[in-house]
Amino acid sequence: MQLFRYSTSIYGGSDVLIGASWDLLPWFVLAGAVVIVLHAVFKAATSRRTDRIK
Amino acid sequence: MAVTQANISEAGAASDRVTRHLLADRLYHWLMAACVLTLLATAFLPIIGVKFEWLGLHWMTGVALSALVLIHIVRAVIWQDFWAMMIDRADLRNAWRRFAQTFGRKGAAPGKPGKYNVLQKLYHAGIAVLVLSIIATGLLMLLKIDTPLWRRNPYVLADYQWGWIYVVHGFAAMGLITMVMIHIYFALRPDEWRLTRSMFRGWMTRREFEEHHDRARWAADER
Repeated sequence: MQLFRYSTSIYGGSDVLIGASWDLLPWFVLAGAVVIVLHAVFKAATSRRTDRIK
Repeated sequence: MAVTQANISEAGAASDRVTRHLLADRLYHWLMAACVLTLLATAFLPIIGVKFEWLGLHWMTGVALSALVLIHIVRAVIWQDFWAMMIDRADLRNAWRRFAQTFGRKGAAPGKPGKYNVLQKLYHAGIAVLVLSIIATGLLMLLKIDTPLWRRNPYVLADYQWGWIYVVHGFAAMGLITMVMIHIYFALRPDEWRLTRSMFRGWMTRREFEEHHDRARWAADER
């Protein structure tokens, strides 16, 4: 998996950096989903514990 | 007689409300939301295969977002309580106490937050970094396109400099997707509905205010 996108320079030589790699897009979506699921599970677990204490 | 009773009940209802967001701030929030969603759609739909003429709508929405953020910064610094959104010592103390309490350690109970809790302040700081990065790089990227207002001039920067500007713009935009997902999730959670409602109506009930906020840290009645 690449972090960056490169293009071949029209003048030859080394590749030119042209931006972030769009292959990373699903990972950012996954990161959001992971935060949401972890928080939802955590809140469900802690509210159940609070209910038991009450 | 009926009019007098109506006035009394109106006055009672009014005192039962605590203003949380003025109309100008709610307008800013929803206009910013519309801009951000439009920008994300025009940026990423073509990348995932939905092809359309995205560039015009993208840069014009970007300019609108830049103007909105500029107005917001001026309002926050001059007319709003700027420090209400800054993390202070009480926030850190409460966060530690909340953490300790959650994991079963004994100690003092966490205090109530002011207008915003520490996670909301952290979220705001994160969004500020991402959006300001996107705006700064986006405004520079306008130099690469022709518009009715200016002609393109991409030669003000070297290729590798443009490359890094696109890298920052791209990473910040993808980070914004993560942040928007988290924001919408919290807005939809039933235990946060009072905050979501207040972004539509502008106010929360006095009971919600007393239950969730520290009067000493958010002098809502005096503003």
